[in-house]
Amino acid sequence: MIDERLLRCATGGGTSVLVGSAGPDAVPACCRGIAVSTDAALQRAIVYVPLATSRDVIANAASTKKLSVMITRIVEHVGLQLKGTVEAIRMASDDEASFVRQRLNEFADVLDDVGLPRRIFRGVAHWPAFALELKIEEAYDQTPGPRAGSALR
Amino acid sequence: MIPLASIWRCFQGVIPSIIGTCDVRGMPNVTYASQIHLIDDRHVALSRQFFNKTSRNLDENPRACAEMHDPVTFQSYRLHLKFLRSEKSGALFDTMSARIEAIASHTGMSGVFRLIGADVFEVLHVEKVEGFLTGIAAEPDAGISIDGIRNEIRGLQYVSEQINRASDLDSLLDIVLEALESYFGFTHSMVLLHDDSIGRLVTIASRGYGTSGVGAEVEPGRGVIGVAANERRVVRLTGLDASLRYGRAVRRESGTVDPEIPLPGLSDAQSVLVIPLQLCDRLVGVLVVEDREPAGFGEWHESYLEVIGNQIALGIDRMSDEEIEVDAPAIAVKNEPAVQGRRRTLTYYVNDDCVFIDGDYLIRNVPGRILWKLMRAWRQEGRREFTNRELRLDPHLGLPPVKDNLESRLILLRRRLSEKCPDLRIVSTGRGRFVLEVDGAVEMLEK
Repeated sequence: MIDERLLRCATGGGTSVLVGSAGPDAVPACCRGIAVSTDAALQRAIVYVPLATSRDVIANAASTKKLSVMITRIVEHVGLQLKGTVEAIRMASDDEASFVRQRLNEFADVLDDVGLPRRIFRGVAHWPAFALELKIEEAYDQTPGPRAGSALR
Repeated sequence: MIPLASIWRCFQGVIPSIIGTCDVRGMPNVTYASQIHLIDDRHVALSRQFFNKTSRNLDENPRACAEMHDPVTFQSYRLHLKFLRSEKSGALFDTMSARIEAIASHTGMSGVFRLIGADVFEVLHVEKVEGFLTGIAAEPDAGISIDGIRNEIRGLQYVSEQINRASDLDSLLDIVLEALESYFGFTHSMVLLHDDSIGRLVTIASRGYGTSGVGAEVEPGRGVIGVAANERRVVRLTGLDASLRYGRAVRRESGTVDPEIPLPGLSDAQSVLVIPLQLCDRLVGVLVVEDREPAGFGEWHESYLEVIGNQIALGIDRMSDEEIEVDAPAIAVKNEPAVQGRRRTLTYYVNDDCVFIDGDYLIRNVPGRILWKLMRAWRQEGRREFTNRELRLDPHLGLPPVKDNLESRLILLRRRLSEKCPDLRIVSTGRGRFVLEVDGAVEMLEK
């Protein structure tokens, strides 16, 4: 049974998204993502990363198929990490643009509340974006404290 | 490679950085880095606070990738790193530990939220993340430039001169805080002196706050100020909101109940810089400056205020050693009858050396005992004139035989009276001499 707070974090908006990958030589790469769409059972996710800033992450994911995604509610520092196999990498479609924009705006509102003006964050590149379809194989509680790193299932 | 020094603002911790690692299976891990510390142009250090996945990955595979943001422009930079070693002691560890301990103490997490190691990395490559920003100015803030540093050096000379010219501790404290504001824009500052007799720091002067806070006490080791004093180490906290949120999250998840200590000064401070004032190993006090900007203070502020701190510590010590009493000519005092004022009730609580005025706390400990001695002499003997020497010779006051800080205790008493009871005044009439002025009637109770 996944903690309700963490599930809200995974499926809701207003979250920070960090994305990591590693090449065949085990050299890691990371970038900020824009949005994540997950199912409630945390079986699958679609991770959106800006085309402009995700070159190394995408190259690694295409090569090794492995990806990690950290999703965090930054005010409460509640977070989780999803890891798994990338099943497809594609350009995000126009149909997905409104979802990505909505998530971006929701996170901009959160940042504005903690002192980073909306106008600055909205200047961050977000489109066009890659969509990485992820089969989730591992999920961990990433909330700082004694339970950090514990497996969610 | 982009020089690390040129992106120093990224290391302020205002916007949390990202760290990516990878285990031996090739599975990546990505998370926030609590603190990335700039060591030199080829090395950085990350704080290791928990034995987490990042730590385990680094022990298996030394390669890492960090993404940092300039808090002014929001421009992103990537650092390609190679883990070298984890330091468990030494200067780097102590510096990083002091910052974390300050946050931990402030959020009631001392001992739980602590630095385990300072992980040192070689920086293999730095890149600006091109295309990260679309259409907003990414030029550095003109206010944070080398010109500013040059101004500080000129200002340092000015402040040093003022400290050397100060005739007494009272004026020295006022001059320093005024100069910090007028020359350098430090609009919120305070000085706390260490009182050996109670083992606490006591606020002796402040500038830029609604209420002076004079007399407010801080226990060494508690809160940002207390940690800086205890560790005898400068603590610079920037992006305070984010850091405190992280500390509070750890506390919430750990279920600890230690009460949080409110920061003295600005309730909405985003940056705090605490400079211990010390002579060799002796803690004289601390200088605190605060700012509402998340990146309010940089390394050069720290270096600059450390120099100022040394000057203040020397000045305070000089004031203590130089005090020559009754030989100096005194200003004549007229024995005028008391001016008619409001009726006051002064209550002295023997058990805890506290003095209350009209039911409100006024002062305690040595300054409280001094006030009571003066008031009794005024009431019983009609005396108004006093000397520092007679206070030093009175064993009931409990002043230490050396470095008694009598001058600072009198300043504290004078300022507290000025705030809480202006009908009672301690007025200097020459070095080591003063008079007690009392307007109106005073009822004295001892309990």
